[in-house]
Amino acid sequence: MKSKGKVLVAMSGGVDSSVAAALLVEQGYEVIGATMQVWDYSTCDIEEGNGTCCSSLDVDDARSVADRLGIPFYVLNCEAKFKHSVIDPFLKAYLEGQTPLPCVNCNTYLKFDHLIKKMKELGCDYLSTGHYAQVITDDNGHSSIHTSTDDWKDQTYFLFTIDPEIVPKLLFPVGGMKKPEVRAYAEKAGLVVAKKKDSQGICFVGNKGYDKFIEENVPQQILASKKGLIKRYPSGEIFGEHPGIHHYTYGQSKGLGLTYHEKLFVIKVDASDNTVCVGDEKHLFHDEMEVIEPKFLNDLEDGGEYRIKIRYQHQGALGIVKKTERGFKVKFSQPQRAITPGQAAVLYKNQQLVGGGWIKL
Amino acid sequence: MDSRSPYYSQKSVYLDHNATTPPHPEVVARASQWLSVWGNPSSIHWAGRDPKNVMRDTRKKLAQILNISPLEIIFTSGGSESNNTVLKAVFEQAQRQAEADSKVTTSNRVSYRHEILISSVEHPSLMKTAEFLASQGAVIRKIPVLKNGFVDMQAYQALLSEKTLLVSCMLANNEVGSLFPIQEMARLAHAQGALFHSDCVQAFGKIPLNLKELNIDYATFSAHKVYALKGLGFTFVKKNSPYVPLIHGGGQERHRRGGTENIHGVAALGVVCDFFSDLLSKQGEIKQLRDHFEKRALTEIQGLQISASESERIKNTSHLLIDGVDGETLLMSLDLMGYAVSTGAACSSGNPEPSPVMLAMGFTREEAQKSLRVSFGLSNTLQEVDLFIEALKEVVARLRAVDIEMKVKNELHAKGDL
Repeated sequence: MKSKGKVLVAMSGGVDSSVAAALLVEQGYEVIGATMQVWDYSTCDIEEGNGTCCSSLDVDDARSVADRLGIPFYVLNCEAKFKHSVIDPFLKAYLEGQTPLPCVNCNTYLKFDHLIKKMKELGCDYLSTGHYAQVITDDNGHSSIHTSTDDWKDQTYFLFTIDPEIVPKLLFPVGGMKKPEVRAYAEKAGLVVAKKKDSQGICFVGNKGYDKFIEENVPQQILASKKGLIKRYPSGEIFGEHPGIHHYTYGQSKGLGLTYHEKLFVIKVDASDNTVCVGDEKHLFHDEMEVIEPKFLNDLEDGGEYRIKIRYQHQGALGIVKKTERGFKVKFSQPQRAITPGQAAVLYKNQQLVGGGWIKL
Repeated sequence: MDSRSPYYSQKSVYLDHNATTPPHPEVVARASQWLSVWGNPSSIHWAGRDPKNVMRDTRKKLAQILNISPLEIIFTSGGSESNNTVLKAVFEQAQRQAEADSKVTTSNRVSYRHEILISSVEHPSLMKTAEFLASQGAVIRKIPVLKNGFVDMQAYQALLSEKTLLVSCMLANNEVGSLFPIQEMARLAHAQGALFHSDCVQAFGKIPLNLKELNIDYATFSAHKVYALKGLGFTFVKKNSPYVPLIHGGGQERHRRGGTENIHGVAALGVVCDFFSDLLSKQGEIKQLRDHFEKRALTEIQGLQISASESERIKNTSHLLIDGVDGETLLMSLDLMGYAVSTGAACSSGNPEPSPVMLAMGFTREEAQKSLRVSFGLSNTLQEVDLFIEALKEVVARLRAVDIEMKVKNELHAKGDL
């Protein structure tokens, strides 16, 4: 069989990228597997490989899948790059009272930049990942990213920073499948990862929780400088002190350490004086937001209506998008709960990924 | 299981003999004979007889090759164990001595020798052992090795003192191939009353070794770098030198290393000993391959340097710095074409970090990341070397083109974004 081209597949050791690699082999591509070693997992507490990124168990799983498929497999050392472009901004964002989204940075700087370079260096024609997303090419030969067949698993939210030029070089083999089909395929193909749990949360944080991760990776005196007051919103009544703004995220109601006759939510985190504002849930709803550092895969229609996702699990809400100097403004047709700075706002036209940016305070 | 052949190509060429060597054909041919030698050499009954003979035979041959006594050889599981043993043994012994002395005199530990000098380019098994001993009270000092592959002898002499307990310097460096003047270094160490150890793993089988003449106290050897099997090494411990076992056990190796002996490893090494003079004499041909490779590489690839080429080197090793390429992808690309080479020590190639050895020699991180180690061996041919050169040219050209393309693109993006 003549090769359909050479593909570099980013294999995390999870079921999705394993099946992606298997499918490409089956379809007649010449496949090379690679795992990015992004973090020193010697302090990680994940016992079972989660297939999120690359704990050493996940590397072993990826390698055994590659062996099973008879494809070459390599581990790429990305620790320095990962620390610089994912971990450091992640820590910084929390200390600034935001709720960061490290997966997007990982995609921007590692998967769809570093790996693109590796793809070219290895003489490959395509780069493939196990993302739930689809590349669709229209009659004019223009390729764009669309949501996956499995709505529940769709991961296009994390892909808005992809350079439109590289879209034609991307292959998302599981994007047209539903998760149970992916598992069934893995089972049938005898891949060891068929029954592995889905990845949850942030790969490098593990089970310890992000606040513990922050405490381990930020000097004590910096953490101490993030202490402040908890105030009632909007009255400003002081409820007490808190150990650091990095413990709080918008919309949070558990773990506030407050006993009060009504349920309270974090309404706002103000990094300028370390104030955490808590109050009634109704204050979490807003119908406007500002978005900065935009990236577009397709042209934006100024004043047009788009479906906008404000966090990964968000279903998306309709809103009017207007360009601004630094990005764009969104006016939602319905107020949205907990619009959180540091998260991405991602725009869709029907199933097509248009672009996105970062939600600003 | 067969050793892995290349995935998408027909030919496979092994050019990484400093990482490990394929077993000598004669080792492979005789392997099934030893499998029937399964007895425990410690046994008194008939089953212990053959394995005992195997041990004695190999020990004798090695002693002859190295001009030492068979009793000065202690078999171990490999180079790492030997390195661990020597450093820990010498330090342990010194501590015991100091303790005993402090009971007799009140001068306390003033004269206690507790400094260990090691070269800055040692194998991790030696480096990490030294680090461990530092946590146990030893003072570790590093003897600088310069970028050109020479030991900084002036610095070395300045480091030596009456506090020096042990000096450890490898005979040949595994990455750049430089040979170090350990005879002279041992002489200087002894003059200060210090002991001398040398990790001879990379030199063994590549240059003739006369340990009596070198006059060192300890040396480390490994079998799988000389066409024998993995899992076996040996320590040379000069008669009457301080020694404490690392592994205590049933009295094997004259109570110096516990554990039932690795008979098959020892037998394989014995076979290699039979071909040892042949192995050494073939180094001339290997050098011709290496020199041919370096000459072609230098003339046909621009922006390429040979590391430590002014120093005396083991004849099989070539270490290159190639501008505008990423060592990691260079290695992968060559592997995809069937060529097995290395960017540094094999232990770290699974996860390529800049080689600590190169950094210690004064190479920059960037230089370390564009390095390539080619180490030739018995089975290589001129034709293989020529094929390899062609492959290297092709890959280097592609990597450089991508590097430029990505740089230009990133610059355009940076401009466009602002």
